[in-house]
Order: sequence, then structure tokens, then C-alpha cells
Amino acid sequence: MVKLQSVLDSGRIAAGGLKDFAVGLVNPTLRLGVTGLSRSGKTVFITALVHALTKGARLPLFEAKGRITRAYLEPQPDDDLPRFSYEQHLAKLTADERTWPESTKRISQLRLTLEYEPRGIFARNFQSGKLHIDIVDYPGEWLLDLPLMKMTYQQWSAETITASQNEPRADIAKTWYQHLTSLNANSPANELEAVTAAELFTEYLAACRKDEVSLSSLPPGRFLMPGDMAGSPLLTFAPLEMSAGQEYPKGTLGELMERRYNSYVSKVVRPFFFGHFARLDRQIVLVDTLSALNAGTAAVQDLKNALTQIMSCFRMGAGSLLSELFGRKIDRILFAATKADLLHQTSHDRLENILRMIVDDAATRAEFSGAVIEVAAVSAIRATREAKVHQKGEDLPCIAGIPQKDEVVGNTTFDGEREAAIFPGDLPSTAQAALDGTLKGQLKFVRFRPPPMKDSAFPHIRLDRTLNFLLGDRFS
Amino acid sequence: MTETFRKPTAFVLGAEEKPKSRSRATPNIEFDVDEAAGELVSVPEIPPRTSRKFRWGFILISALSALFSLWAGLAITTLVENFFARSPLLGWLALGVAGLAAFAALAIIFREIWGLMRLRRIEQLQILSSRAINLDDKAASDETVTTLQTLYANRHDTKWGMSAFNDHGDDIMDPRDRVKLFDRLVMKPLDEESHRIIARRSRRVTLLTTVTPAAALDILFVAAQNLRMLRELAELYGGRPSTLSTLKLAKMVVAHLAVTGGLALSDNLIQHVVGKGLLGRLSARFGEGAVNGIMTSRIGLAARDVCRPIPQPDSKKESLTSLLRELVKFGNRPDAADITKA
Repeated sequence: MVKLQSVLDSGRIAAGGLKDFAVGLVNPTLRLGVTGLSRSGKTVFITALVHALTKGARLPLFEAKGRITRAYLEPQPDDDLPRFSYEQHLAKLTADERTWPESTKRISQLRLTLEYEPRGIFARNFQSGKLHIDIVDYPGEWLLDLPLMKMTYQQWSAETITASQNEPRADIAKTWYQHLTSLNANSPANELEAVTAAELFTEYLAACRKDEVSLSSLPPGRFLMPGDMAGSPLLTFAPLEMSAGQEYPKGTLGELMERRYNSYVSKVVRPFFFGHFARLDRQIVLVDTLSALNAGTAAVQDLKNALTQIMSCFRMGAGSLLSELFGRKIDRILFAATKADLLHQTSHDRLENILRMIVDDAATRAEFSGAVIEVAAVSAIRATREAKVHQKGEDLPCIAGIPQKDEVVGNTTFDGEREAAIFPGDLPSTAQAALDGTLKGQLKFVRFRPPPMKDSAFPHIRLDRTLNFLLGDRFS
Repeated sequence: MTETFRKPTAFVLGAEEKPKSRSRATPNIEFDVDEAAGELVSVPEIPPRTSRKFRWGFILISALSALFSLWAGLAITTLVENFFARSPLLGWLALGVAGLAAFAALAIIFREIWGLMRLRRIEQLQILSSRAINLDDKAASDETVTTLQTLYANRHDTKWGMSAFNDHGDDIMDPRDRVKLFDRLVMKPLDEESHRIIARRSRRVTLLTTVTPAAALDILFVAAQNLRMLRELAELYGGRPSTLSTLKLAKMVVAHLAVTGGLALSDNLIQHVVGKGLLGRLSARFGEGAVNGIMTSRIGLAARDVCRPIPQPDSKKESLTSLLRELVKFGNRPDAADITKA
């Protein structure tokens, strides 16, 4: 059964690859996968990227910039996907109150076209000098579903229940756990029980996501962000205590839950994956390392696990003619520690080290498969500027900006109006310290309001290097 | 884990309250991470000088030149004294001329020393900038950039690149990227100029060899053209070419060629085909001219490696082939006419 599924999947990828190859002959297209869990900054990154390229922002390290003659948004190529509402997001960022875009609730797509002067006689005469860049934006929660494709209901149940017994989850899980122990997988199926279980389970997942704990590994993603599926029976299942390998007869609660889990995977997760992730050329993985550091060791460890599992679902490797024909592979991956503007630039190296530690397994696997990887501290829109505060014979490297309302550092609560210089604490020189608990209470990163535009462009940190790594070679 | 962390602190602008005291950070020793990413650059290889052994020849030459300067001093003094004996007016005149000569000699010595020092400085810059690129070292990168900025200040051919680079002074970027950005914005136009210099000199060498009647003469021409090219290249990249420093530069270039010569095996092949093959069949003299031109191009490329303050990775270095193309199309070039001036 599993075998058949994987054969089908390969067929799906190959068919998609052939179609892409044929289309790519006429219109070279690059599918850029902007991957990141919720609140890692996908929407802001896409908006900033499009804005920087179309408005000609300063991108000194993007070497191909000089050859790009025009960059514009094209009409959405796929009729069944909503268009990424770039203009609305931009309007929010540039309005008088300047707010960040709200969290994404549904999937959307955008096609950015770059016209450039090709190099070489052949390219100049026979190619259009156009490159389409397709970018998909989606709720980051849904990414958590990808590892479910490889798990059966029983495996998933067991894993979820084991995880919920560790601190800090155990405390949050109490209510759901009580209900769970009252359920019996062998009892006759009862729709009401299933609904309650799903509700309590969803509450538990949502609580795990709060700022104080900031956990990441919380599948299934549609429970947290249902999109247009709210209330659907596909979302009314929850883990059950089951003995391994036992078959549940028709009509029992166990059978009902298992059936729903399987249809969730086949009707929701698989189409999402094959529609958007199986055919990527380049990938940027946005990781909100700072929020995890804010919340502590457990959050960092959880982030590490979630990313490792998610990244194992992608097809990576050096590109070849064969892979061009039968399903593309991701040949360049950039792991970006987002929101680098919440730190002084002297700490960026350490932030990159911590991110390297977090994505270690994923990066090793990618490198082994032949893909090129890079790690960078990035801020697509830089909301702060740097400052030095002289205090007690010592210069504190600070960042200055307008913190969002109700953010707190020490005894100071911000009002969202006044500017403040903030010293967020020292990052450790060894990345391992982020996992061993030495950092408890030593770091505090606050959210800032978006910056005003400067010379009709947003300030950024290393967005140019990111673009150069992800797109640069397509222009030479 | 003995690290002490500084507590997160906030300073609201315009707020009255003072933040609470904070533990002082204990000094930490941080070791450089020898991490190399991307393509590495290397300082042009020049074999180390032979050890300073006690050499009789050196003593002989020093002693002889000391004797010579003693003799010259004595001769000039006697000459001036003789003039004074004749007439004080002539004496003062002779003394003035001798003083002028001494002043000029001093100026020349000073210029030579300055030229040699500048050459040394470029060598140090190469070490520094390759450290910045290979190890992503912030201190090295900052020093490279400030030194280069003073080196290239007040030059019209770097003005545009420098102002473009200074525009990004406040941007946050990695030390490695900053040096690379300087390389791209400021050094690249210089590379194009040096390409023109090398191509022009190579064409001249080819033509001169072809048209010179006597075989012995063209050796002189080739040597002179090559030395001129070295001076031009050194000046372009910020050197101060004087006689001694040009000679030293020539020595370094030859040494560099000797080290990298093995790598250029394919280039040698071109040389044989062009020189002894097709062109040689057409005209023996022209074949020789082409060989000399190619040799000049190679010397020029090696000289660029030695003179360029920021070393290039091998993949970005210009190949001999791109210069060869220029070598054969001198017929319709306007500067083919200035061969008469050479």
C-alpha cells in the first residue's frame, strides 16, 4: 500500500516536472519556495522582495542588478489560486500607523517577471531575456503537516501523546489529557465525543503557540489555521491512546479517527504539498530564531525538531538534465535567521551560529544530496537603526526604533509612540548554549513597528545577498 | 559555561527613569573561527628570497661604490676649490650647481624609497584583503577598505566607484562582502583599464617585432615595452613606479610567472600553434611577433596579479584567450596608429 503510494507520488512529480520543463523552454520560470513556520516573516519577506526589485532599491551585493532592465508583476498564471495581495500588504506597511501585515490565512501566489540583458551571443539572440519568478505565500502552520505524509495515525497519536507529557507541554495539555484518558478507542463511534476531543486538542495546540512558550512542532497545521475548512469533518479528529498494531473494527471510535486522519492526509496535505512544494527550484527557509530564544530552551529544541522533520519532505539535490525533465530538485537553499534587525550587527555572527545549530540536520542532509546551502542573518525590512549607549564605562551596542505597543523589557513598557534604544542581551558565543539553559532570562527581543521608507525603499539587512544567492546565477 | 551575559536593557528616549544597574561583562577571549566559505583567494605566489648569506660579491660591489662616491666627492670638492682659486664668482656658481645636483640626488633617493615602500604596502594589502575575504575577518576588512580609500582618493578614474561604494557605508553587510563590493565597484573599472594597457602593449610588441629589420633590436624593443607596461600597471593600481621599484616589480612578476607557469600549459599550446603554425607559415617574422605579443600579455596578466591590492579568485581572473582576441584585431584599431610614437 505504502509502496503504491510512493510510486504514485513519483509519477505525480514526474508529470509536473515534464509540464514545467515544456513551459520553461519558452518562458524560463523559477519557483522560489519561501518556507517558514508561522510568524517567521514570509509575507513581509515576499512583500519586501517584490518591492525592492520593482522599485529599484539599493541592493549593492545583488550583482545581476545592473543587468535587470525591468521588473514587474504579471497577472496571476494559475487561475485556481488567489493572487498574493502585494498592494494591500504594502499599503499597511506604508500607511500612517505603519503596521505589519496580519498573519496569512490562506494560500496565494504571485508572479514577478524580470527582464534582463542576457550575456553571451546565443542567449542574446535566442532567449527572451525574461525570467518569471513564482512565489507562493501560505499560512506557516500548514507546513507542519508535511511530516504527516510519512506517518500512520497510530504513529502520529503515539508521538503527539509522548511529546505532550514533557515540560512545558504537560502543564498546558492537562485539560485535553483528562478528556483523552476518558476515551476508549474500542467504544462505538460518537460524533460528539470526536468533536470535543478535536476542540480540546486544538485549544492545547493553540496554547502551545503563545509567546511565553513559542513551541513550533504542533501538527496538524489546519487545526491552528483552518483556512476555508473550519468545522469540516476532516478536522474533527484527535490522537487516541492505542495499542500498537491493533486493528479497530468498523464503527469504533478508533476506526473513525483513523479514517479521518487518513483523509486529512490524502485530501488536504498531499494536494498542498504536490501543488506547491514538490516542484521548487530554490528555497529560502525563514527561521524566527529570536522568538524561540526569547521563550527558552524548550522552544529552541522544538523549533529544531520541527524544521528537521519539515525539511526532510523536500526534494533536494544538484540539478541535472534528467531532474529538469522529471521533477525538479531544489539546488540552492538559504537558511535565514529572520528579524536580524532586532540585534546589533556585531551579534549577527552568533545568531548565524545558533541558526546553523538549529538547522544542522536539515543542512547536512541538503549538502549531502548536492544542494548548495548558506546561512545568513537577514531582515527583509529593517525596522531599527543602530546606536551605542555609554553606560558605566562601557559601550552597549543597542538597536533603536519604535517598539510596538505593550512590549516589555525589564520594568519598561512601551507605548508604541516613542523611540527607544534597546540592548537585547548578549547572544552566547557557542551555539550549544541556546539548548542547555544557560540563557534563561538573559535575552529579550521586542517587536518594533515598521520603519518609514527612505528614498522610496525599505532599509534591509542582507536582502541583496539573499537575492544574489537565490537568483544571481540565473542571470549569467 | 563560565560566560556572563549582559542583561537585556531598554533606554526610552525622553523617559526619565534610569535603568537598573547591570553586571559588568567579564572579558571573554574569543578565538577566530577559521571558517572558509565560497571560493578562496590567494596572495600571488612569489618564492621567498634566497637567504641572506655572507657574500663576497656584495662586499666587493659595496666597497667599490663607496670608493667611487668618495672619489666623486673628492673630485667635486677639488673642482669647486679650483674655481674659488680662479675667481670667487665662478666658485660660488660651481658650489651652487653642485648643491643643486646633491639636492636632485636626494630627491631621487627619496622617490625610490617611497616607490619601494608603496610596493611593500600593496603586498601587505594583498595579505590583509585575502584574510578579510577568506576568513570573513572584520578588522582586516575595515583596514583594507580604509587603506584603499586613502590610496585611491583624489583620482578621477576611481571617483564614481568610490562614491557608489560610500553610498553603502551604513549598510549592514558581512566583512567579506564589503571587500568584494569594493572590488566590484572600484577595482573592476581599473581591471578594464589594465586590460586595455596589456592589449595595447602586446599589439605594439607584435608589430614592432614584425617590422624591425634586425633581430637583435627587437629584444630591446620588447624589454622596453614590457617595462613600460609594468610601470603603467603599477601606477594604475596605486603603485609609485620608480626605477628601483619597477625593477623589483619586474623581478616579482618573473618569479610569479615561474611559479604559476606550470598551470598555463594550455596557454603554451596556443603559443606554439600561433607562433610556429598558421601565422608562422604566412610569415616567419609575424609568427615571432605573435609569440612575443602573447608573452607580453602573459607578463601583463602576471603583473596584474602582483599589483592588484585585492587578489582575485582563480575563476574571476582574466584568461589569456580574451587578450589573444585583441592581439589579432589590431588592424582596425585607432591606437594602431600610435605605434609610431612608441
